[in-house]
Amino acid sequence: MEEMISAQNAEVVQSVEEGAISVQTSEIVESVDGAQGAVAKKRKRRNRQERLDNFWGWAFCAPLLFGTIAFVYIALIITVVLSFTSYNGSTPLFEYLFGGNMSAMNGDPFYWYKYVFTNENLFRWVYCGLFNAVFYMIGIPIGMVLSMFFAVCMTRDIKGANVYRIIYYLPSVASTIAIVYTFNRLFYSTDAGVINQLIGKTIKWLNPEAGLAWSPSAITSKWVVIIMSTWKGLGGTIILYIAGLSGINASHKEAASIDGANGWITFWRIVFPQLWPTIFYNIVTAVIGGMQIYMEPDLLFGGGNTGTYLQQTSGYVGLIVGYSHLGRMSADPLIGLSSVLGIFLAIIIMIMTLFQFYLDRKNNA
Amino acid sequence: MSEQEKNIAAEEAENNIVTEEISVENEIALSGSETTEAVAKKRASGAPNIFVDGICRFLSWFGFSTKYYKGSKHGGKIFMDILDYLVLTLVGLIMLYPFWWMICASFASDGISLSSTIFWFVNPTWDAGQEIFYNYTWFMEYVPNVTAGATFWRIVFNTLLYSVVPVVVGVLTSASAAFAFAKIEWKARDFVFFFLLAAIMVPGPTIMITQYCIYNALGWDSNGLAMWVPGLFGSIMTAFFIRQFLYGLPTSIVEAAKIDGAGYWRIFWGFIVPLAMPAIMAQGILSFFGCWNNYLGCFIMINNEEWYNLPVAIQKISNLFNGGAMNPAVTIAGSVMSVIPVLVLFAIFQKQIIGSLMLTGSKE
Repeated sequence: MEEMISAQNAEVVQSVEEGAISVQTSEIVESVDGAQGAVAKKRKRRNRQERLDNFWGWAFCAPLLFGTIAFVYIALIITVVLSFTSYNGSTPLFEYLFGGNMSAMNGDPFYWYKYVFTNENLFRWVYCGLFNAVFYMIGIPIGMVLSMFFAVCMTRDIKGANVYRIIYYLPSVASTIAIVYTFNRLFYSTDAGVINQLIGKTIKWLNPEAGLAWSPSAITSKWVVIIMSTWKGLGGTIILYIAGLSGINASHKEAASIDGANGWITFWRIVFPQLWPTIFYNIVTAVIGGMQIYMEPDLLFGGGNTGTYLQQTSGYVGLIVGYSHLGRMSADPLIGLSSVLGIFLAIIIMIMTLFQFYLDRKNNA
Repeated sequence: MSEQEKNIAAEEAENNIVTEEISVENEIALSGSETTEAVAKKRASGAPNIFVDGICRFLSWFGFSTKYYKGSKHGGKIFMDILDYLVLTLVGLIMLYPFWWMICASFASDGISLSSTIFWFVNPTWDAGQEIFYNYTWFMEYVPNVTAGATFWRIVFNTLLYSVVPVVVGVLTSASAAFAFAKIEWKARDFVFFFLLAAIMVPGPTIMITQYCIYNALGWDSNGLAMWVPGLFGSIMTAFFIRQFLYGLPTSIVEAAKIDGAGYWRIFWGFIVPLAMPAIMAQGILSFFGCWNNYLGCFIMINNEEWYNLPVAIQKISNLFNGGAMNPAVTIAGSVMSVIPVLVLFAIFQKQIIGSLMLTGSKE
C-alpha cells in the first residue's frame, strides 16, 4: 500500500511536476515566439525602409550617374582604345569599334605613343605647347595676390562694398569670344591700337615675329593673354576670398590686436593660415584649368585660323584640336594621335595635382 | 556710433592733457638755459626739428604712429577708407573700361573711327543721317552668309535651346542627385559619390574628340542634339554645390515628412526643391551663362552650320572680316549683342549668384 501510495504520489508529483514543467516550457516557448515575432516585424520594417532608401538613392542618382558613365567614362575608355588604332574618322565610330575594322597604325599598337617622342616636328609642338600653357600660369600668382588685396579692401566696413563686388565680377560672366574681340582691338598691333595710342608706342602685341615659343616677341604676346585672363578671372577669386575672410573668427583677430599685433602681422599670422584652404583650392583648380587653356590664345591670335602664331602662343590643347576632325594640322584627322595627346594631358594634370597635394601635405595632415 | 565717438573724444582729451603737461615741464626747463637742445625740447613732441615734428604730426592725423606722435585712430580709419574707395574705384573703372569701349566701338562707322574710339563714341557719319544701329543690323544681315542660310534669330533660338533646356532639366537632375547624397542613407552612397568625384578629374580636352566621334556616330552633330542632350543629365559640380547647400538644411524636415507618410519623391518636390531654390536658381543661372557663352563645345561638336550658336557665328563673321577691308566694328556689335542678355540677367540675379558663390567658397 505504502509503496503504491508512494508510487501514486510519486506519479502525481511527477505528473504535477511534468505539467508544471510543460506549462513553464510552453510559456517560455510562447514568450520566445512572441519576442521573435516582434523582432522579425521590426526587422521587416527596417528592411523595408532600407530597401526604400536604397531604391530611392539609386533612383535619384540615376540620371547623373548615367550621364557620367555614358559621356565621361565610356568616352574615356574609347579614347584609350582609339589611342592604339589608326582611326581617322572616315567610318562611324561604332562601326569601326565593333565591326571588326579596328587596326593598329602601321601594325604597331604603340605607334602614336612612340610618334609623339620620335617625330621631331611634333615633339617641338608638344614642348612649345606645354611651355605656353605653363607660361600663362604666371597669371595665377598675379591673380591670387591682386584678388587677395581687393578682397581685403572689400571686407573693410565701407559702404557700397557690394557694388564693387558686382563690378569686379562682371568680366567673369561675359562671353570669352566677346572679350577676345575687344582685347584684340585694344591691344591691336599697329598704332591704331587703343593701348598703343595710350602709351604712345607701337608695340606688336598680337603679331609676334617668327621664332619659337620663348622668343621675346612671343613672350610679349603671351602677356596679353595673361592680362586678359587675370582681368576675367579676378572677380570669381575675390568672391571666394571674401567668403573665406568672412568665415574667419573675429575673436582671433581681436585677441591678436590686444596682444599688440599690427594689421600686417595679424594678416600673416591669423588671417592667412585660416584662409589657406581657400587659397590652396584656388591654386589647384587654377593650375588644372591653366593646363587646359585653349580658347583665349587661339581666338586672340588669328580667330581660329591655323596661324603662324599657333606654335608661339597656343597651349597644349591646341594640338589635340589640331589633329582632330577640324583638320588644322593634318589633312586627315588623326584621332589616334589626338587621343594619345589627350591621355598625356590627363597624366600631366594628374601629376601636377598630386605634386601640389604633396607640397601641401603638412597642412592637410 | 555714439560710444565710438565718446571713446575718440576721451582719447583726444587724454592726448591734450599729456601734451599740456609736457609743455609745462619744458617751460620750466627752458627758463634755465637757452641752448638749441632746449629749443628742441620746447616742442611738445620732442622731435629734433620743426620739419620732423610737422611731418610726424601730419602723419598722425592719418593714423600713422611715429616716435613722437601717436596716430589718431579715427583719422586713420577715415584715411584708410578714402584710400580704399580710391583704389577700388580706380581699378573698378579698369574692370569696366573694356565693356564701355565695346559699346562705344560698336557704333563706329568704319575702321578709322573704330581706331580713334578710346573713351567716347566716334562716328563721323552720325550727322550724315546714317542709322545709329548700322553695325548691329549689318551683323544680323551677315549671319546667314556664315550659317548656311540660317537667320540671326534662328541662331539666337539655337543658343537659347542650348542654354535653357539643358540648364533647367540638368539643374533638377543635379539637385536630385544632391538630395540622394545629402539626405538619404543608402548602401552604395559613398561609392557612387567617389565614382562621380573621379569623373571630375578627367580633363575635358582629353575626351572632347572622342565625344565628338560618339555624337557623330549617333548623328547628333548635325541636328544640334550634341549641344543639349548631354546637359540633361546634370553636372557633377552643380550637384556638389547643391549638396553643400542641402547639408545646411536640417535633416529633421525629411524625417518629419517621412513620419507623416510622405515618400522620397514627394519630399524632393515638396520640400527639397522649394527650400533649396536659392542654390538651384543661382547654380542654374551660372550654368546658363556657361552654356550661352559656350564657344568651344559648339565649335567642336556641331558640324551643321544651321545649328551654330551665337559665339561661333560671331567667330565666323570675324573670320570673314579678317581678310577684307570691311568694318571690324560689326564683330564688336555682335559681341555686344551676345554680352547684353548675360549682363542683364546678372544684374537681376546678382544677389543670389554672389550669395551662392560665397556659400560654396565658405564651405571649402
